[in-house]
Amino acid sequence: MQLGRVARYVLGAVTAVVIAMIYLPLGVVFLNSISASESMSWPPPGFTLEWWGRALHSEGALQALGTSVLVAIAASAIALVLGTLAAMALSRYRFYGKETVNLLIVLPIALPGIVTGIALNNAFRTIVGVQLGVWTLIVAHATFCIVTVYNNAFARLNASGTRLEEASQDLGAGLFTTFRLVTFPHLKSALLAGGLLAFALSFDEIIVTTFTAGPGVTTLPLWILQNMFRPSQAPVVAVIAVILAVLSVVPLAIAQRLTAKDAAAVSR
Amino acid sequence: MDSAIRLRGLHKRFGETVAVDDLDLDIEPGEFFSMLGPSGSGKTTVLRMIAGFERPTSGSVALFGADVTALAPFQRPVNTVFQDYALFPHLSVLANVEYGLRVAGVARKERRARAEEALGQVRLAGYEERRPHELSGGQRQRVALARAIVLRPQALLLDEPLGALDLKLREQMQVELKELQRSLGITFVFVTHDQDEALTLSDRVAVFDAGRVVQLGTPREVYDHPRNSFIASFVGSSTLLDPDVAAALGLDRAPMAVRPERVTLDGPAGGVPGTIAEVIYTGPEHRLVVDLDGLGARITALEPNTGAARPRARGDRVTVSVERGAAAPLETEPAPA
Repeated sequence: MQLGRVARYVLGAVTAVVIAMIYLPLGVVFLNSISASESMSWPPPGFTLEWWGRALHSEGALQALGTSVLVAIAASAIALVLGTLAAMALSRYRFYGKETVNLLIVLPIALPGIVTGIALNNAFRTIVGVQLGVWTLIVAHATFCIVTVYNNAFARLNASGTRLEEASQDLGAGLFTTFRLVTFPHLKSALLAGGLLAFALSFDEIIVTTFTAGPGVTTLPLWILQNMFRPSQAPVVAVIAVILAVLSVVPLAIAQRLTAKDAAAVSR
Repeated sequence: MDSAIRLRGLHKRFGETVAVDDLDLDIEPGEFFSMLGPSGSGKTTVLRMIAGFERPTSGSVALFGADVTALAPFQRPVNTVFQDYALFPHLSVLANVEYGLRVAGVARKERRARAEEALGQVRLAGYEERRPHELSGGQRQRVALARAIVLRPQALLLDEPLGALDLKLREQMQVELKELQRSLGITFVFVTHDQDEALTLSDRVAVFDAGRVVQLGTPREVYDHPRNSFIASFVGSSTLLDPDVAAALGLDRAPMAVRPERVTLDGPAGGVPGTIAEVIYTGPEHRLVVDLDGLGARITALEPNTGAARPRARGDRVTVSVERGAAAPLETEPAPA
């Protein structure tokens, strides 16, 4: 399709503005993390690595980072196991209520975080009767982490069909051997992609976290929120924000590359 | 001796659709048996029930005297060559062929030796370390064969194994399949929609239509004596003759099918006069469609390409005759299995 010259310039300009709107603020956060001004004044009067040094020695920030990584890994691990099992069940077997189960598994990602947060908060405290702590947080994150693993695994299983598994059974392998030797190797990259997405989702989640983390459990996003408006902490928060951005984007990028590469391999 | 494969009252329904309708079939040990039919005729479903991928709605499957109806695919002494080969993409050729032995717990050294032997049998030695995506269609086909025969199954099931290959390769693989079957001496059950393939390869052919076997016999029986109009036109080509036309040609007054190569033009005894309506040149032969005078019917004849100076042409007047015994009387209703 050919666009006129004017249309091209206008569309180009709009695109530039939109992209600038998204990425300039990120750049500002990065600049603030090395700005010599403590109050994030603009333009930066000079540059320093002092905040990076302070951040790397800030006990609160480091503890929050540790909590975030622990929660993200644990939630992703739960999601990997349950998401894979659910994907196997829904792609390989016929049973009553299958469509409903499918919807119920995927729904948490669409639910507003505030609703999930309130619901889980209530359920944990009143119905289950447990203290909010790091485990309630992990379970809460797992509810939406499952979705990314499940979606990836389910798509892969449906795309590949049952032919390889039938071949494996035909050659004498039972269900578990078939899963170990054929299905799992085939799913591996989809699971890795789903797991990384789950990790990224959990790592920067704040709404559900607010409602389900026990007192004293502080994830990195929570720590940022709590320290953002403390004057002396502002530049350190900028440093942490940069770290958070990198840690969230990198797994996403890897996941996307894995999915693209595998799509190419499957279509070959 | 027990049949290699014995199907009794085999019935398979998918929802409202009847895929296989009350089938009885005996396939003998060492036989090259083809199941021939158009797509949707139930032949692949039968194969899948023998392999164990589908449970029959009712009826039984017995392999070498043992009822296996309730057994899973991995518990049955048969192996399958799949239509799209279904090679494991993450494994090398050697690992694909060794797969069944590995699962069975055969020691590394022995399974390596047996896999090499199987690859030799399908003439694929030297390709051990390749991945399936690095192979051509014909080579993948051979890997699939090696992977199945390495387990020394009592019967090999082949689901349209040559369907994806081009013509030359298909003809070559037909010869190799036949040789392989002879040297292994095991039962081959071969599903195909290609009547040439079925006639060329088989000891016996079962022609499927709408979930039933409509004719069962040697290739010669099926080709020379098709039982009904479906078989006459599906297996090879035939002209179907109305009773009146058959009678005019000096045959019994009954529905008949006659093969083009059994129709004689301008024979010594004369025959029914007609006009050539169409000449189709196929290279080795001419296919001639003749309008029969006053009968409102056409008949197709086949003549070898003799390189005559003046080949037959449209509008030529000819006489048409069909020898008694060259035409097959047809049952008016589709034959029960």
